[in-house]
Amino acid sequence: MTGAIAFVTRRRGGARWDWTDVVTFLWLGAGLVVVFGPALWLVLSSFKTPAGLAEFPPTILPYEARTAEVQGYDRPLPLYSVTDERGSRTLAEVRRVGTVAQMVDPENPGEIERVNIATRSPERQVALSWSNYLDPFLRFDFMTYARNSVFVTVVATLITLLTNSMAAFALSKYQFRGRNAVLVVIVATLMIPLSVILVPLYSIISAAGLANSLWGVILPTVATPTGVFLLRQYMLTIPDELLEAARMDHASEWQIYWRIVLPLTAPALAVLAIFSVVWRWNDFLWPLIVLTRAEVYTLQVGLNAYAGELNVQWHYLLAMTVITMIPVVLVFVFLQRFITAGIAGTGLK
Amino acid sequence: MQMAGAAVVAPLVWAAQALDPVLRLWQRWTGLRGMAGFFLVPNMAIFGIFVLIPLVMNIAYSMTTGGALFLNARDYVGAAQYQRLLDCGNYLDIRTCKEDQFWTAVRNTGLFVTIQVTLLIVIATVTALILNRELRARSFWRAMFFFPVLLSPVVVGLIWRWILDRNGILNAALLGVGMDPVNWLLDRNLAFAAAIGVTIWAHLGFYALILLAGLQAIPRDLYEAAEMDGTRPARVFFRITLPLLMPNLLVVVVLALIRAVQVFDEAYVLTGGGPGTATLFMTQYIYEVGFASLLKNPGLAAAASILMGGVLVVLTLIQLGLGKRNEKRGKLK
Amino acid sequence: MGSIRLNGITKSYGSVDVLKGIDLDIAEGELAVFVGPSGCGKSTLLRMIAGLDRPTSGRILIDGKDVTHVGAADRGLAMVFQSYALYPHMTVRANMAFGLENTRMPRAEIDTRIAEAARMLEIEPLLARRPGQLSGGQRQRVAIGRAIVRRPTAFLLDEPLSNLDAELRVSMRAELSALHGRLGATMIHVTHDQVEAMTMADRIVVLRAGKVEQVDRPLALYNRPANRFVAGFIGAPSMNLWPATARQGAVVLEAGPSLSLPGVPDGPLTLGLRPQHMRLDPEGPLTLKIEMVEALGAESVVHGVMPEGTRILAVLPGQPGLARGETIRLGFDATQLHLFDAGGQRMEPPNADRTPAFQAGA
Repeated sequence: MTGAIAFVTRRRGGARWDWTDVVTFLWLGAGLVVVFGPALWLVLSSFKTPAGLAEFPPTILPYEARTAEVQGYDRPLPLYSVTDERGSRTLAEVRRVGTVAQMVDPENPGEIERVNIATRSPERQVALSWSNYLDPFLRFDFMTYARNSVFVTVVATLITLLTNSMAAFALSKYQFRGRNAVLVVIVATLMIPLSVILVPLYSIISAAGLANSLWGVILPTVATPTGVFLLRQYMLTIPDELLEAARMDHASEWQIYWRIVLPLTAPALAVLAIFSVVWRWNDFLWPLIVLTRAEVYTLQVGLNAYAGELNVQWHYLLAMTVITMIPVVLVFVFLQRFITAGIAGTGLK
Repeated sequence: MQMAGAAVVAPLVWAAQALDPVLRLWQRWTGLRGMAGFFLVPNMAIFGIFVLIPLVMNIAYSMTTGGALFLNARDYVGAAQYQRLLDCGNYLDIRTCKEDQFWTAVRNTGLFVTIQVTLLIVIATVTALILNRELRARSFWRAMFFFPVLLSPVVVGLIWRWILDRNGILNAALLGVGMDPVNWLLDRNLAFAAAIGVTIWAHLGFYALILLAGLQAIPRDLYEAAEMDGTRPARVFFRITLPLLMPNLLVVVVLALIRAVQVFDEAYVLTGGGPGTATLFMTQYIYEVGFASLLKNPGLAAAASILMGGVLVVLTLIQLGLGKRNEKRGKLK
Repeated sequence: MGSIRLNGITKSYGSVDVLKGIDLDIAEGELAVFVGPSGCGKSTLLRMIAGLDRPTSGRILIDGKDVTHVGAADRGLAMVFQSYALYPHMTVRANMAFGLENTRMPRAEIDTRIAEAARMLEIEPLLARRPGQLSGGQRQRVAIGRAIVRRPTAFLLDEPLSNLDAELRVSMRAELSALHGRLGATMIHVTHDQVEAMTMADRIVVLRAGKVEQVDRPLALYNRPANRFVAGFIGAPSMNLWPATARQGAVVLEAGPSLSLPGVPDGPLTLGLRPQHMRLDPEGPLTLKIEMVEALGAESVVHGVMPEGTRILAVLPGQPGLARGETIRLGFDATQLHLFDAGGQRMEPPNADRTPAFQAGA
């Protein structure tokens, strides 16, 4: 705890604890709990058995009942610790009738004891219920959803990077009539969300035969004005002399684009790529509209469908939520620096 | 990671190289101007088909009726859809409106926007101020607040649904401190509050980050000068920090407004609009009317989305205006 | 190989005329320097020769062939940019190879050419580095190397020395001249620095406001400037230019001393005299009060003002021991005088061996 206190240092230095230091300390501490707590709780819960999930109040860690193979019985028997007039000991339950359980000592399986259930409690151990994770892959369409999500994310990001960077190149390095008009349109639509054009967009997608197709999810999202805007701002900082030098060097315009401008735009492309991955992976409303058949669901739509079932199987749902979260957490852990720099620099989201 | 990168890049490089002779011919034929067109066309074509044309078509849809999807099969009704949306016997009582769901969504969204944006901005500002102090491991703290921003709204919704469950950990905690468990998502007011809280949780880090960037742009010597003058901290905040942060703050407020008006994903997964219609928001209304309900009414959905779009356009114009003003100020400095 | 001819080149951006009809011949193997104040159009002219900009009218001929409508890549020229424009993401070797690869030259040939250029410019140890890891002078060499490997018909250099510090600039100046001697190729060098122009050029093209003011060899330019602008621009410190009036065979400085110069037509004119062409002379016609002395050791630059208020600048040899506030008299050799008419054009003195006959006062 002293370490944690030392963690929060003070602007003004010195030993005096200002009230602002107290607020800082409390704020960051509360932040730690509120931000990471729910995610951690999700992960812990996802390893619980259905019985463990149904418990209230819940245990922090996932437990499962200990069992033992007892001679003469086909199935492993659950273990209980019994405390009565004969002392404390561990017994396995054979069957239960009313408030009385028939139990055996695993060491001495021949003799059956009758024990009042009030005197015993189940023996448990911390255990991870991996079947929560395996079953959705093996028994449900979860694998398909994951594949669809990966496909949408990768393809949409590649197309976004290509088309946005080409447009940004044209808009930053060429003079032509109508350039300003294009720029105005792009800036004006920066904030127009898909949710405003759902109906006509869906009719266009349907007319193109892309309803219930992953391409119907991908295409409307790739021509992001945000991406064009971001890349153009970056390309404007590339000196024109470089392009002229390349022209003198017999480079074609296409070569200038992919051998000079693209490599030099790499930092901005990386930021856009990361954002695009996160955006497309997390997209929900539009896929929810376009994809109505389970075999084309993305993870987000699939999760929502599971969560909307009458009888929600939380143990599977929580595990699938964790899996859906993993790529984003990886992005967060490894690329967080790029993203925060990107946002601070451009106000992009 | 790098191997995977190379595996993606290598075929692209090969394709780019293979394209070059063709494009050289094209360049010879059209000149530099033609090449500009070539670079612009893919993006603008996709943009035109999937953004610009729908924007225009939306107006046409809003003036038609029927359940048919394609425009040519729909009947023109002029402003009837708008009339239906706006038709109320008594504007102070939602139950007298023809489309009471629409007005419920409008009221809910209005209330949501007001409360959520206010709280969000206050909390984000405090967080940014705290992150701007000389903290040890500041980048960790900054990253921590940013973590939920990346999570998918569906995941966020599910995480909190699990926590706010009747048998969830929050109720267990209440029980632990001797209070009665609460039915968070089945109580109208609590569900609404939960929607606000969860969306703040999910977006706080983004706004805190922008505000932090604004704070860090304030020259340090101003604070030092104030300290030399013996200015009290509260005065420093109100006379130096706040005025200099104001341009950023305004942009952030408008940005938050724009996003709050469209609230959907997290809230939908969390509450499904319920209980009843307690958390039915505009985007969900459009989605339900246009796609999810048994009696789809695309025309009505289009009309509603144009009304919502109008609000967003106004907010966007304000934002662009603010941006331009900040730019000018920056130049003056 | 390598003669360049410009025929009536004009360039306008909207209603702004940047170049107003340029005619110029640059001979094969010549090092021509375009010099002029900033905004005179010298860089625009170079870019037009390079093919990076199109003239509004006029023709450009290289080796007698009209290339006005030929693209930059196909004119066979190489350019060194002011910022060097090295591709920052490529190594020095890749920078030099890029242009050659684009012409589908065999790998072996590319390697030989790079090796040769690298040896000539002594940048062999740098070939694997990127431009960001090089000093200014090294970047400069690489930029030149990138031009050399192309074996161009002519080299175009756009203020290539302006980003270097003073010391490096002097040594690179000498190196560029030496390189020109070794390659024997046509070079066009653009600069705003007249010292650079004087020291490097075979011929100097002085430009002002989109027009050629004078084209000549450096010393000819110095000795016989064609007009008032060139007179003031070439030579450091600048030539003294005094407004004066010619009246009945005498030239009278405005409210100052007069000089008998028979044969000069009456009217206003400008009298020019280089600061270096004055000497201390108790009998001299010019009286001035010293305002400042810059003692440089080998010479002293004297800033003064004549009683009538006209400023005067003199460069006196050695350390004459003058102080601020002193009044001195200066003399000069009248053959060193330059005369410019009311339009600023050079006037040849009517007879070269006129006698100096200055009198103090009017």
